[in-house]
This record gives sequence, structure tokens and C-alpha cells, in this order.
Amino acid sequence: MKKNSIFLLLAIFFGACQEEVFLDLDQKKARIPVIEGHWTDQKAYNEVKISLSKNYFDSLDQELIRDADVFVKELSTGRKITFQYSTSTRSYRPNPSELAIEGETYQLNVSWKDQVFQSEGLMLKPPIVDSVVWNYEEERLFRKKGYYLKVYGKIPFPNNNYYRIRVIENDIPYNKPEDYLLFDDAFGLRVFEQGLELGYAFKKNARVRLELYRLNKDVFDYLSQLVGLLFNDGGLFSPPPQNPESNIRVVKGDTQVLGFFAVYPVLSRTITIPSN
Amino acid sequence: MSFHKSLLFILLFIIGYPAFSQEKAVFRGQVMDAGNLQGLVGTNVYWEGQVQQGTLTDVDGNFLLPAITLPAKIILSYLGYEKSTRTIQVRDLEKVQRFYLKAVDFSLEEVLIQEKRGDEQVKNLELGKSTLSMETLQSLPALFGEVDLLRSLQLLPGVKSAGEGTTGLFVRGGSSDQNLIQVDGAPVYNASHFFGIFSVFNPDGIKKVDLYKGNMPASFGSRASSLIDVILREGEKDRIQGEGGIGTISSRMTLQGPLLGDKHSFLISGRRTYADLFLKLSSNPDLNNNQLNFYDLNGKAAFTLTEKDKLSLSSYQGSDYLGLDGQFGLGWKNWVSAVNWNRVNSDSSFFDLQSYHSRYSYQVKFDNEENGFDWTNSLSESGIKASWTRVLSSTTTLVWGAHGQVYHFAPTYLKPSVNNPINRRQTQGVQGVLGNAFVGLTREFTDKLSGELGLRQGIYAQLGEGKVYKYNGNAPNPDQDPSDSLFYERSQLMQRYQGLEPRIAFRYLLRPEFSLKLAYNRNFQYVQIASNSSAGLPIDRWVLASQYIRPIQSDQVSLGLFHNFNENRWEFSVEGYYKNLQDVIDLRNGARILLSDEVETELLSGRGWAYGAEFLLRKNRGKTTGWLAYTWSRAWRQIDGISRDKPYNPRFDRPHDISLVLNHKFSSSWSAGLTFVYSTGQAVSFPVGSYVVDNQPVSLYSDFRNEDRFPDYHRLDATVTWENTDQGKKWKGSWNFGVYNIYGRKNPFSYDFRVLYNNELNFNPSDGKVFSTRPGVVMTYLFAFLPSLTYNFQF
Repeated sequence: MKKNSIFLLLAIFFGACQEEVFLDLDQKKARIPVIEGHWTDQKAYNEVKISLSKNYFDSLDQELIRDADVFVKELSTGRKITFQYSTSTRSYRPNPSELAIEGETYQLNVSWKDQVFQSEGLMLKPPIVDSVVWNYEEERLFRKKGYYLKVYGKIPFPNNNYYRIRVIENDIPYNKPEDYLLFDDAFGLRVFEQGLELGYAFKKNARVRLELYRLNKDVFDYLSQLVGLLFNDGGLFSPPPQNPESNIRVVKGDTQVLGFFAVYPVLSRTITIPSN
Repeated sequence: MSFHKSLLFILLFIIGYPAFSQEKAVFRGQVMDAGNLQGLVGTNVYWEGQVQQGTLTDVDGNFLLPAITLPAKIILSYLGYEKSTRTIQVRDLEKVQRFYLKAVDFSLEEVLIQEKRGDEQVKNLELGKSTLSMETLQSLPALFGEVDLLRSLQLLPGVKSAGEGTTGLFVRGGSSDQNLIQVDGAPVYNASHFFGIFSVFNPDGIKKVDLYKGNMPASFGSRASSLIDVILREGEKDRIQGEGGIGTISSRMTLQGPLLGDKHSFLISGRRTYADLFLKLSSNPDLNNNQLNFYDLNGKAAFTLTEKDKLSLSSYQGSDYLGLDGQFGLGWKNWVSAVNWNRVNSDSSFFDLQSYHSRYSYQVKFDNEENGFDWTNSLSESGIKASWTRVLSSTTTLVWGAHGQVYHFAPTYLKPSVNNPINRRQTQGVQGVLGNAFVGLTREFTDKLSGELGLRQGIYAQLGEGKVYKYNGNAPNPDQDPSDSLFYERSQLMQRYQGLEPRIAFRYLLRPEFSLKLAYNRNFQYVQIASNSSAGLPIDRWVLASQYIRPIQSDQVSLGLFHNFNENRWEFSVEGYYKNLQDVIDLRNGARILLSDEVETELLSGRGWAYGAEFLLRKNRGKTTGWLAYTWSRAWRQIDGISRDKPYNPRFDRPHDISLVLNHKFSSSWSAGLTFVYSTGQAVSFPVGSYVVDNQPVSLYSDFRNEDRFPDYHRLDATVTWENTDQGKKWKGSWNFGVYNIYGRKNPFSYDFRVLYNNELNFNPSDGKVFSTRPGVVMTYLFAFLPSLTYNFQF
């Protein structure tokens, strides 16, 4: 695979070898709450997951917090939207009729034991997605041969341009570190108008769902730092590993908090690559 | 203290010595090797019966000796050469006299490994200075058989490496960008090949290297931690000669000889790797269509213009290239040139003028119509330095001069290909000028006490054209857009800094073979790398001091005890130091700086400090030579925004560090070398737990940076050399066989904390069915038992 050429080349030249080792890691005794909140204009996405951190070598499932008080407050009106724990989704869910409204700022409130956590996010206007097209491409450098999707649309905003695209193929989300498709306007947004090609080679009959989120900057930064951490191999060329900077703050209690609260509009398209 | 007051202080210091006004007759000479006509540095020169009032020759073999009643006999002695005695007449004072010393056949008992007088380390004023000769360098076991200057310096006390196999240096707690690496006076901005595995210096082109770990003379400056002063070789003047080597990964060739007669000379030396040639033999298309190579080319032409004037032109060019499939390429280049003019004005006065230009550039290119790009950047430094040396008396020498530097950090360009819809990006260029005036006085107060007082005053200015962004509260913040911006016209002053850099050193001779030395040094550094990785990358961004980035200030105090014994066969030294660093920078979490004009929003700044003790036991003569060095040291940083604002150790902090270097000459043909290194493991952060967010298993880290350690590092290397010593043959060859990491120690290069699927290290869940997942730790290590073979030749 050409994608790995550079690594293969360097590994051969430098005689790099790998093996699994077991390190006696100094583990944090206190478990830290991990909060992941999504508040969108689509009911299926709206949920708050709360769990606890664990020891590194602990291979058991994450420990969930099921007894927290969770609500989202619409700051302009003071209206509270309560979330209830759902055993089926293993997360806190609001009433399905409750959705984020463009232009509103929302505040997440989580109370658990004697700890209180808060975070805010602004519901931004979504961009415009005109079409999604596919095209067959032969093998290229860094690209396998296959069907490639291009997303065409328009982003008419002068600021707050922070986006994420998620790809779901045949109901299975692409969820590896390299699957974080994050972009902002640092290189302009013409690419979106002229067709943003996604770096996946799909096969015939693939049913692909694309989701586009417009994020607040703090969440975009969190996800960017998360990707950086997931790719951090601990080597000399990597920066010292650091936890992504959460946009959730501890209002009460002597603890840390991990995770993020994201308020964003969702645009989605589903297409199927034809068999001929 | 203002600059004027400082100069007045110096003046008063000088005037305090009546010797200043006394012009004494001086005898001038130059000592050369009769074999290769190269100047002999460190030759002991004295009048018969006055050995204590003698002097040493400089790097070109020149010396000055206060005249006595003539005629008188002058004696020149240099270890490994026949002693020379000549009667000097009064008329000989009129011009420079040349002396040619003949090398004695090395006996097995007297093998010389360094170019200096036996008791020099006790007698001189130097603290924290090490000199490596090429003989020493070439006798050390080397990675891939490639003799490497910077990696060899890592064997000296107080010098740490970034990690396994890399050439980055961390000197007495300073970062790698705090070292000034210069070739014949010209700085080299990226001194490494292959991402730091090799340094850019072809050993065949080097005469010697001096490492100043803190106590620099006032004539040097602009870096906070060290000076690595590389002097290139001059060609021989008698006949054309060549030498070279064929190694495991590269070959090299040097030609030298007279130029336009016997007064001038040239030397040209080249080296190229051929890893990519082997790659083409591979049947794997992922390998055989790729390129991975570097080359070096350096040359020096030396002209003896008159008896008083010497001019040399030096140039180095080096390049790296990594290419994939003919479409993607990453390359970087150094091009460094220097002109040096040395003039002997009178019996007691010398003048040196130096000018240089150093340019570093890189390019990342992806050749594709749809989404290709061309990303380029370059930076340069030009400078001119003039220094005057005046020998005021047999005990007092004054050096003064000025050094002007111009920095030009060109814009970074990102040019998309024709059909690539991303915007073209261009950062703004940055310019700066730095003017330095320096003065240094060296004096022997008594037979036992000598001292050096130096002052260096730097005035730095960042100049337009350029834009400076303004931020609310004057606090750059990546989460807030600038509140305003100011545009400066071309050459308009944007920011100015100035700093006085005192340099003080004293030596007290407790006994003839035992001395105590004390030194204090201050340095300012106006350029630095904005990076938080431990090893340098070709695309690292250098930043100049500006309104938001203050120059680094380094203050170092050091104290040393130096002792020679057994007729200078053995040297022992202990040096302690404390260094304080102000305004060092680091990056915020997730900083993006490579294509940003608002770099200041991504930077954090703070302070650092380091302290340690360095022990060195060295044997310079005999069948067996080498040294044993032990360093105990600590390095700290405290930067708001990192490690909860608490002090932390940078990755290169390694409290214990041992180097053992041994060379043994079995016969005139056979010799062997061995090095053993041990150090505390690197300071790193290991996970203190894990969690799941956004469906990703994520390692949890402490807020406090680098509280964990890699396992201790140790390694043993060995080399055996056989050389043809048949003096009658024009072609002389030698074979060198070496093994790096002879007992195959698996020293970790990295620990990767990741999920292992199906109990396999590199199973990708998209490539097959997943039966099991669990957290794991994967160690990557390099160079376990790496043999090499090199053939060297001379003709």
C-alpha cells in the first residue's frame, strides 16, 4: 500500500523493530468523569454519554454513570430540556421533540454526586450541500482504485467555519483515527464549492451516508487535539502527549472532567454506488 | 548598565595595567607539519631556559613570543614530532619565520589522540570547552560505519542526545536550537540528514571541532547554550592527494592539493548515500520506485596572499531527498559559504575579517493536478565580523571587534496545483538585524592567577516590511481574532531589543598540575525554533524575536577543578554548573504554526534552569587511549499553560550519563575501538488511565508533564581497523569493521499505547474479522546489533 511507503522505507532503512511490552504504569486512583454531549437539530443525535475513566490495562467495558441529573438550558429563554437515562442507548436522551434551534446558545448541566459540570455551545446555521457524486478512479499515490465521492456545496459564512464530515458505509461508521475529516477555512472553502473529494475508495453497491456538522471552534479544537493524541506514537517526532482541552468546566467538586459538549447542525446525504 | 558605561569599565580595566602602553618586540612564527605542510595547533614554543614564559601556536600554527635579548635559542616541541631548536637573530624579528616539524614514528607507547599541549587543560582559561580532533573522531565506532561529528560529541560530558541514533544535541539543559553550529564561522541551521540520523559534516573535510558548553569568548554569541565551531581542512600544498571511503550506506571522496603554485591550496570533499540504489533492486513496487538519499559537498581554497595576509574561501552544500512514486517529494538543503581574511598587522597585532552567508530551504511537493501542491520555505543569515587582536604584553592580550548579522526568514508558500481548489497561502517574511560589539581581555595576573574579562553588546532590530497583529489586553490568544493590525514599511523598525553579555573567567593554579577555574557567561539568543517535538524536523519553523517573542537570555555559572598526572598522560576534570534560561518558548496543545502569521497566539513562554556536575577522566597517550565521563545533571522548564504551570523536566533530562571510550593500538596495522554509553531513560508521559470518547479508546494523561521514564539506555559499540602501513605504496587502504549495539540492547525509540486487535501488533480491523481487542503497549526500537564495513583509502 503506497500510503505506507514512507513508513516502510524509513523502517527498513533504520532497522526499526516492534514488540509488545508490559509496563508498570502508575495509574490514577481517582476515576474521572467523561462527558460527551451532542445537541443538534436531529433527534437521533441528541444524547449525553457519561462514563468514568479506568486503568489503562483494564480491558473491561467502560463504567457508565446512570444516575446523573442532566439537562440542557436554552440561555435566551431559560428553558430547561431534561435528559433521562436510556438503558437501550446507554446514554441520556431528551424528549424526541426537543431540538436545537439555530442562533440559540445552549448550556449543558450535569450533576452527579456532589459534582456539577457545565458547558455552552452556539447552534450555528448549517452550510448548503448541493450534491454528492461518485467517480471511478484508478490507483494513485496515497489512493487505491475505486469509487470516490465528491461533495458539492456552499459555505457562505465569513467566520465560525469549522466542520466535520462523518462517513458511514452500509450502516457501519468509519471510526478510526484517520477517519476524522475535519476542515476549516484556513485553506479557503472553494474546495467545497468545486467538490470536496473524500479519500475513500468505495466498491460497487456500497451504500454511503455522509454527515456534515458545523462545529463551534472549541469542539473543533477538541477533536483536532484528540486526533493528534490518537496519532501520537510517543516518539521523538511527536509532541508530549496531552489530554484534549475539554470545553466542559467543573462548577462544583474537586475533580477533573473529560470530554466535550457539541452543539451543531447536521446535514446528511445517502447514496448508493450502482452496480454498473 | 549602558553600553557606554560598559566600555568605560573595560577601558578602566585595561588602563589599570601599565603594560598596556609598552610596545615590546615580538618574535612571530608559524609551525607546520613537515609532512603535509599544515599548521600545527598547540605547539609549545619557548626560549631556551624559559619554558614557563612560552606560548602555544594557534589553529594555523602561528605564534607570537615576546622577544628577549638576541641571539637566543628558540625551542619548539609538539608531542609526536621531533623537537626543534633554532638560533634566532635580531634580523629574524623582521618577518614571520617558518618552522617545519617532522613527525616521529609512532611508537606503541606514544599514540597521540588530541591536538593540544599536554597540560593545556590545567593551564588554560577554558571551562566547558572540549576539542575533538579528526583522529579521535575516526577512531570511534560509528553507526553504519559513518563517522559522525555530532554523534561523537554526545560522548562528551554534559551533552545529551535526543534519542537513539539521532544527532541532535542538548547541551547542559539547553534545547537543540540553542546550539550555534558553524562551519568556518558560518552558521548551519539544519545540521542533520535523514531526519536527524546523520549530521551534515563529512568527516574527511573537517580539521577539528571545538565545543563550548557555556563559557564562550566574547567574540562568539547569539545562542544560549553552546557553540560548535567546526573548522574545515585546508588542502595540502605539495602535491595532489586523494582519500575516500566506501561504506555500508555511503561513499565519500576528497581531493586536495596545491592551487596556482605552492602558496595556495584547495580541498574538495563529497559524500553521497546510495540507499535508493539498493531500493531499486527490490521487487516490491512500494520500494523500488522511491528515493531516499543525501549528499554533501564541501570545499575550501586557501590563499597565502603575502607573508602577512591569508585568505580562505569555504563552502558547504548538502541536500536530502525523500521521494515516493515520482509524485511526492520532501527535500531540504543547506548552502553555507564563508570568506576569511587573516592579517598580521605587526608583531603584536592581528586582524581577522570574516563574512558569510548561510541559507536553508525545504520543499514539500505533491505532483497531482487535482490535489497537488508545492510548499516551500527558506531562511538565511548573512554576516560580517571583524576582530582585532593585540598582544599588549607577554601576559596580556586584548581582542575587540564587531559582528553584524542580517536574518531573512522568507515567506512560506503553499501553491496548489492547477485544479486544486484550496487557496494559495503565503506567510509574511520576517527580517531582523543584529549588531554586536565585543571586547575581551585576557591577562595573567600572577604565575598562578589568570583571567578573562569580556563584554558583548548586542542590539537587535526586527525590521519591516511586515504586519503586527494587536490583541485585546496585549495577550495573543488563538480563540480570539486580532483586534487590530499595524503595517510597517520596508526597513521600518518593528521591535528592538538589546542586551549586554558579560563573559568572565578565572583560573588559579593550585599546583603546576592542578587548577581551579570559575566562569560566568550571559548569552542572548534572538532566533529559535517554535516546536515541541524532541527531534528536529526539516520543516520546523524558526522564529525571530518580535513584539511578542522575547529573546532567550541564558546565564551560566561554572566552576571546575582540573588535574593532570603521570606526565600529562592522564587528565581529570570536574565541572559544576548552574544555568538559568529566560523567555524559552513552547507550543500550546494542538498548535498550528507552519502556515500561520499569528504564531504568537500558539506560543507559551517561561523559564528554564539546569544544573549538574561533569566528571571526565581522559588518557591521551599510550597504547590505550580514551576517556570515561560521568555526568549528573538536571534540566527544568516552567511555562505557564504547561504542567499546570509547575516545573517539569524536558524529555532530554537524564540525571545519570556515562560514556566510556577506549581505543587500543595492537600494532602499526591493527587497532580497535570500543564505546559504552549508559544514561537514565528519557523523561516522558505514560498514560495514567484510559477512557472512551467519541467511540475512541483514548489514553488518559496526567496534567503534569514527563513524570515517567523510559528504561535506562545503554549500548556497547566496537570497531576493528586494519590499515596497510607499507610506506612505499602510493595507494594506502584500510578496512574498518564495526558493530553498533553489540549485545543487541533493545533501547526503546518509542512506546505506542494503542488497542491491539486479535493479539496482533499491526492488525487493522478493516482488513479482517476482529476476534479480540485489548489495550497494549508497542515498543519500537532501532539498531539492535548493526554491523558495518567500510574501506578507506588514500593516494
